[in-house]
Amino acid sequence: MCIDTLTHMAADFLFQVFPNSGLPIYRQLIDQVRHHVASGRVKPGDFLPSVRQVALELEVNHMTVSKAYSLLERDGVVELVRGQGMRVAPRTAASENGSIRERQEKLMPLLRQVAAEAYQLNLSTAQVKSLIDRVLKELDQS
Amino acid sequence: MNAFPREYALEFSAVSKLYGERAVLDRLDLAIPSGSVVGLLGKNGAGKTTLLRCALGLAKPQHGTVTILGEPAWTLSASAKQYLGYVPQTPQLYPWMRVAHLLDYTGSFYRRWNGALVRQLAADWRLPLNQRAGTLSVGEAQKLTLVMALGHEPDLLILDEPVASLDPSARREFLKVVLEIAAGGNRTVLFSTHITSDLERVADRVAILQNGRISFFGELGELKDQIKRLRLVSVNTFPERFDMPGILTQRIQGKQALVTTRLVTPEMLDRLEADWHATVEVEDLNLEEIFLELHDE
Repeated sequence: MCIDTLTHMAADFLFQVFPNSGLPIYRQLIDQVRHHVASGRVKPGDFLPSVRQVALELEVNHMTVSKAYSLLERDGVVELVRGQGMRVAPRTAASENGSIRERQEKLMPLLRQVAAEAYQLNLSTAQVKSLIDRVLKELDQS
Repeated sequence: MNAFPREYALEFSAVSKLYGERAVLDRLDLAIPSGSVVGLLGKNGAGKTTLLRCALGLAKPQHGTVTILGEPAWTLSASAKQYLGYVPQTPQLYPWMRVAHLLDYTGSFYRRWNGALVRQLAADWRLPLNQRAGTLSVGEAQKLTLVMALGHEPDLLILDEPVASLDPSARREFLKVVLEIAAGGNRTVLFSTHITSDLERVADRVAILQNGRISFFGELGELKDQIKRLRLVSVNTFPERFDMPGILTQRIQGKQALVTTRLVTPEMLDRLEADWHATVEVEDLNLEEIFLELHDE
């Protein structure tokens, strides 16, 4: 019964992994969950498919899936519900991850990379800003 | 044996194995935690088979100790062998025996032989039960050996290049079986391979055998997190060599450089940027690329 519900609630959650990628499989899984949560495709209260299910479906080691899930739990993206599995946490949990400043600081390495790349490509500050605006808008709409 | 869970299923401590003057294993240390699936990676002739044979007590190292399922490998008891499964690189089968007979015969040596599992696997893998072992194709013989090694549901399964002669679809089926074994959580699997893509899927840990020692042992994700390729571009000319800890390979050409390192820290990147007025791009590497970088000497 329980498993049926899980399958049902997680029905449109499809992971995709590329084992040959340089990005570790557990990070690929984390990124996908975060992306789905951010885009609203997965809502707070939704359950993720079980570790076993994901491992079998993707044909990857269950420890890899389990590692991704526990890191998502540590970061407050999902929460463990005993006997039921991993549930997407309410959005407020994310803000418990530190002050705005601390969270901004986490974004800095990525932004530095963007800035360096933009410099190489000869893009102006305004041009880069407009791109960031566009990406954020896309997220809001979906 | 499951009643006494031990931390490590297999332990090598300062193990040296010499063939004549040549040390194939050179004071090698390795401890494989129970319940893990470990892929053993190494070039041809790196000593993977020797390592596995020492683990099983089929070869005797000159120095050091090998402990398998809590016992010294060289004097392994018959009862410990009941919990071990081994698939050698070249299947060893009695050619005159029919497949079904061979499976029954193997089962008779084990106290906990799972006949239902064996029949299931034989059917899944379409093993020709009435054919004589000598007439099987290489792939069929390998599958048969594998079924024989899985029948007693071993606590520790050791596989030497298990997929080398399987076609891609049989390889995927085989990997699935290993994953199912792993999902149980209390079985340990150690397999050698040089097919890195299989290892990336199935293994939760990787051991890299190089120059007679284990040059890396840990989670696959950890390895990928550690080893990165840095692409540096500067307005100035770079020196001939960078002198920093952790560098594996470096190719420097004027104002551009490609550096592979095993110790990437934000501080290191900051320093590179500041010291050389450079922009640094960090590239992820897959296991095959990492393997090549580690062996680029």
